[in-house]
Amino acid sequence: MAPRPRTIAEKILARASGKDDLVRGEIVEARPDFTYAHDFAVFAIDAFEAMGATRVVDPDRNAVCLDHATPANNKRDANNQARIRAFAERHRFRAFFAGGTGISHQVMVEKGFVTPGALVVAHDSHTPSGGAVGALAIGTGEAEIGFLWATGRLWLKVPGSIRVVLDGRLARGVYAKDLMLEIIRRLGVLGAVYQVLEFQGPAAPTLSVSERFTLCNMSAEVGAKGGVFVPDAVTEAFMQARAQYPYTSVAPDAGADYTETLALDLGALAPLVALPGREDRGVPVAEAAGTRVHQVFIGSCTNARTDDLAIAAAILRGRQVHPSVRLMVVPASRAVMAEAAANGDLAALIEAGATLMPSGCAVCAGVHQGVLADGEVCLSTSNRNMPGRMGNQAAEIILCSPATAAASALTGVVTDPRTVLA
Amino acid sequence: MSGSVLRGTAAVFGDFVAADVILPARFAFLPTAEAVPHAMAELAPDANARLRAHPILVGGNAFGYGSGREATARVIKAAGVKAVIGGPFARMFFRNAINNGVLVIDCPALIAAGIADGDAVTIDLDACTAVTASGCFAIAPTPPIIRSILAAGSIVDYGRALLAARA
Ligand code: SF4
Repeated sequence: MAPRPRTIAEKILARASGKDDLVRGEIVEARPDFTYAHDFAVFAIDAFEAMGATRVVDPDRNAVCLDHATPANNKRDANNQARIRAFAERHRFRAFFAGGTGISHQVMVEKGFVTPGALVVAHDSHTPSGGAVGALAIGTGEAEIGFLWATGRLWLKVPGSIRVVLDGRLARGVYAKDLMLEIIRRLGVLGAVYQVLEFQGPAAPTLSVSERFTLCNMSAEVGAKGGVFVPDAVTEAFMQARAQYPYTSVAPDAGADYTETLALDLGALAPLVALPGREDRGVPVAEAAGTRVHQVFIGSCTNARTDDLAIAAAILRGRQVHPSVRLMVVPASRAVMAEAAANGDLAALIEAGATLMPSGCAVCAGVHQGVLADGEVCLSTSNRNMPGRMGNQAAEIILCSPATAAASALTGVVTDPRTVLA
Repeated sequence: MSGSVLRGTAAVFGDFVAADVILPARFAFLPTAEAVPHAMAELAPDANARLRAHPILVGGNAFGYGSGREATARVIKAAGVKAVIGGPFARMFFRNAINNGVLVIDCPALIAAGIADGDAVTIDLDACTAVTASGCFAIAPTPPIIRSILAAGSIVDYGRALLAARA
């Protein structure tokens, strides 16, 4: 009997757990196709060793990319990073990327380790980023990555999926980030808990892999298990000459059963900012316009790719960052940095007054660099703004697109990018 | 946890307490014992002491949302928490707590009915109930894999037994 029509997530999980059909909410034991880790892998190594394990299952399907506290701040972090490198080398992982290569989510997609149709796991909440290329990419804890290394298996609950139907075209000055802030505003921070956002609709093919990345990345901000784009010609073009593993793309079946449908007209959107404290506090940028900004962060796995830097550079080229603002630019990877250096965008940003920092998480999680002073406001292209996220609970974070970030860096106050676009 | 019944007094926390608030990222690399004094310290002056004083943590809507860093679960466990109830809870918080041997139960009705610090809570996994002075609340059955991990103590203990059995 043919299985009932299924969503992308159901099809990928069924294959990875060796079952024909799955019941939503059921817990399956799955064998991921690819697993990656970052600095917090020290706790996965602790778990692996405490289990008495000696051999990593499928080392060829494992990689590490250090990103959270690189270059190391102190000897504890340095020793942790050396330990992770030694572990990855001893167990013959497929790849090890040292600090400076970039943010793991970005690096694993950019270098083709995350492939369409694959079940991917990593011990990080923004693992869903891999949905940009049609993978079911799921975040776990660190100890269970140690468990996975030791056993090759992981328990996962079969999620429902929310169909996100995208239609229309983004207006000038409005970007994928604004679209995602709108989705988060509508769903709320746990609005998609135990669900996968499956992005489709007439506008989906018009979005680049980078834009899809922004959307899937912030699926974490509605509590989703994942976010995934239906693979198409854009996906195929991106994977060409990049895929590290053979893959089979997975599309949803016609008539698949979704828990909910969320329809969005991209053309009706205006730039948004998420006000401090919670990611679902999106308001039109006009409502926050004029708010004094002390630091602007163009970085993170959400919005620091070549296209994001180009958007910011187009606004800042030949102009100067407001003297009361610190602008920090952190390309999502070294490859992005090299491309932006070659096309002149990096020079434009630096000449405008940006501080360029090594590729990695940097300011985003308040672990490493760019910590805010009491009472300061940071306007950020990253994904989280809960109290204390950037290392100081007495500071505030507003989330926005790279265009809004650049426009506001110019004026020193929250600014609608449409007012400064040439 | 062993057996199916867990009893204790509650420490009650509100809605939208993010993982980054339970333990800010800058403390996440610390050895767990050193991180415990920082747990929830930014939420309120007495939050750390309240966390440590009771084995049952009653967390409001979205408690633990955001970051999936496991240090959040490790400090809650090290602070003496045996079970977290209320919610609904974020999925990575849920996984990490279970994997560290801390039971997590979605039961928003228990909060809605009224509960205060120091109140007794009894969770019965076989009967699928949570009982407080305000009433008896139905809870979802706990799947066998989760019961096995909790019975073993943690996913590390569970994994150790699994590997030993295979050897
Ligand atoms: S950039 Fe920020 S959100 Fe992305 S992986 Fe790093 S710390 Fe997490």
